[in-house]
Amino acid sequence: MMSYTNSNQDAGGLKQFVNKVGDAVGGMMGTASAATMGATNAETFVASAGAGDLYEIAAARIALQKAQRADVRTHAEMMIEHHTTSAHQLRSALRSTEVTSASPGLSVPTTPDTRRQTLLDHLAEAPADAFDDTYLDQQKLAHQETLTLLDGYGRHGDNPQLASYARGGAPMVQRHLRMIETMRG
Amino acid sequence: MSFNPLAERGIPLAKQLRSWSELNVEPYRTEDVHPYTRCRVIVMNGIEVESIMFSHQFARNTPDVELKQRLALVRRIEQQQQKAVNWLLPGEKQENAVEITIGYEQVAVDLTAWLARNEPDPYLRQCYEFGLLEDFDHLYRYANLMDLMGNGRRAREITGDYTEITPGRPTIFEHRDPRDDLRRPMTKVAAHRQSILNAMTLVSSEQQTMNYYMNFGNRPTEPLARALYLEIAEIEEQHVTHYESLLDPEQGWATNWLQHENHECWLYWSFMQTEVDPRIRAIWELHLNMEIEHLQIAARFVEESEGVDPASLIAPYDRAMTFEENKTYLRQLVEWQVDLTAWDSEFLPVDQLPEGHRYFDYQATVNRGGAPSEEVIRQHRERFGEEYRLETDGPHPVVSLREEDGGAKLGYERNMRAKHPQGAAQTIDAEPTPALAI
Ligand SMILES: [Fe+2]
Ligand SMILES: [Fe+2]
Ligand SMILES: [Fe+2]
Ligand SMILES: [Fe+2]
Repeated sequence: MMSYTNSNQDAGGLKQFVNKVGDAVGGMMGTASAATMGATNAETFVASAGAGDLYEIAAARIALQKAQRADVRTHAEMMIEHHTTSAHQLRSALRSTEVTSASPGLSVPTTPDTRRQTLLDHLAEAPADAFDDTYLDQQKLAHQETLTLLDGYGRHGDNPQLASYARGGAPMVQRHLRMIETMRG
Repeated sequence: MSFNPLAERGIPLAKQLRSWSELNVEPYRTEDVHPYTRCRVIVMNGIEVESIMFSHQFARNTPDVELKQRLALVRRIEQQQQKAVNWLLPGEKQENAVEITIGYEQVAVDLTAWLARNEPDPYLRQCYEFGLLEDFDHLYRYANLMDLMGNGRRAREITGDYTEITPGRPTIFEHRDPRDDLRRPMTKVAAHRQSILNAMTLVSSEQQTMNYYMNFGNRPTEPLARALYLEIAEIEEQHVTHYESLLDPEQGWATNWLQHENHECWLYWSFMQTEVDPRIRAIWELHLNMEIEHLQIAARFVEESEGVDPASLIAPYDRAMTFEENKTYLRQLVEWQVDLTAWDSEFLPVDQLPEGHRYFDYQATVNRGGAPSEEVIRQHRERFGEEYRLETDGPHPVVSLREEDGGAKLGYERNMRAKHPQGAAQTIDAEPTPALAI
């Protein structure tokens, strides 16, 4: 319940509430675009998959500093390792003629897109006692989005090498999602 | 010049079975065998072994009884081919198992170099160059071991002047976390047909090397020899992991069978054209004619079971794999890439690894107490006052790897000291404990 004479803490609470709604909407928008655009087009796919890994790694780094629960911390460590591997695999895929002959000059993004940057900002701003929940909520949305992207591109993608990359990563993301759901209780 | 095995007529399978006396071929004479003839024999043995083990795995993973029959019929012939090929190697008294080891590493060097130079895909080429520099170093370590074991013949008498024997990426630094051996696979749809042949050739030959060291490596009595074999056997495990991860994991069993037969055809076709020993050339030709039939049996199965046109999966050959000198190419590679290591599927200079990377932990664990691959050089210098090297084209291209320089100042060592001082103390600076005697 919010009163007009709110303390700083309440204002923070409101901001958190607004951020959380924003994260959910952002997450849904991400899932919608992953299911449509990125699902078949190499350029969009690479931009989205690459930004996804960057977000996961950056979010996990914040979690290593701010997470309260030990299992959230362990999860964050695993996210850094697994999504680094995923980023490396994507970079290697882009080096092969299977990709360069069809899409010359295609490269992975080096910074997260605006939408994902906003998610990261929210994590950085989240107060200590709300951090774990915020992170796990974002984790669920982010992994759902990635899974939709990988599944879609793995099935209908226009580049066989990138589609193989997508199928190679999807089972891991599916396992992450299950772990996150267990942690969210 | 181009050769399409799907359009040829082979020997009918029912006519392929041979008697014991036909299979028990006369071995080559070690005194006058061409080093590259030995290499071809070693490669083809590894190729046949892989075709056999693949066929067994396929049979174990299908309930289809009639398919099991087809596999068993072809596999029995593959087994006979393997005997006819591997029995070309002379017995222990003419050419002992350490001398054969030198042959194995000469294969790894000049086979991989040819495949890298003829690889159309830049990522795969990088993968081959990466592995190549490691096997190049093994040749040098084993050549030094051979002297220490009191072997009468020295490495050059096995390799001729075709392949230089000098440090590559030092074996001690090749050991890395298993996850850093996994590469990005190609796809059967988009990969260049030559790329598939190249990768299968490397998987088979590295696997044979791995099998050879893991089984033969405990036969010597000398502790240092046993130690060096087990250390390098572990690198061959890394190499198998590295090369097999390049193959399309989704191609399916039937297509995979077709690719195996196709790759056997390609190599027999290649060796038939380049073999200098007429008697052995006749074996390559006979086996090619058998493989054409195997290929067509596998092709029929692909058609029947998957409704796929086999001609869409393989292409006629236009390049024969050729054993030839690769010295200039290797010198450039050592100079440019000796400092590379791997992180997942990517390659990077070791000083770009972040502090605390798993590479340093792995290094510190396995090299604790020293590495046999370093000890073998140290003991050779101590006993003979120098290392065994065969540098036909001038001094080593990397100054810190020259013999007179002694102390390696490679990026690897620098980084080990900077980023993992405790690991450096346990590895680079450690006294071997206990000292491994020869
Ligand atoms: Fe065969
Ligand atoms: Fe080797
Ligand atoms: Fe090797
Ligand atoms: Fe065969």
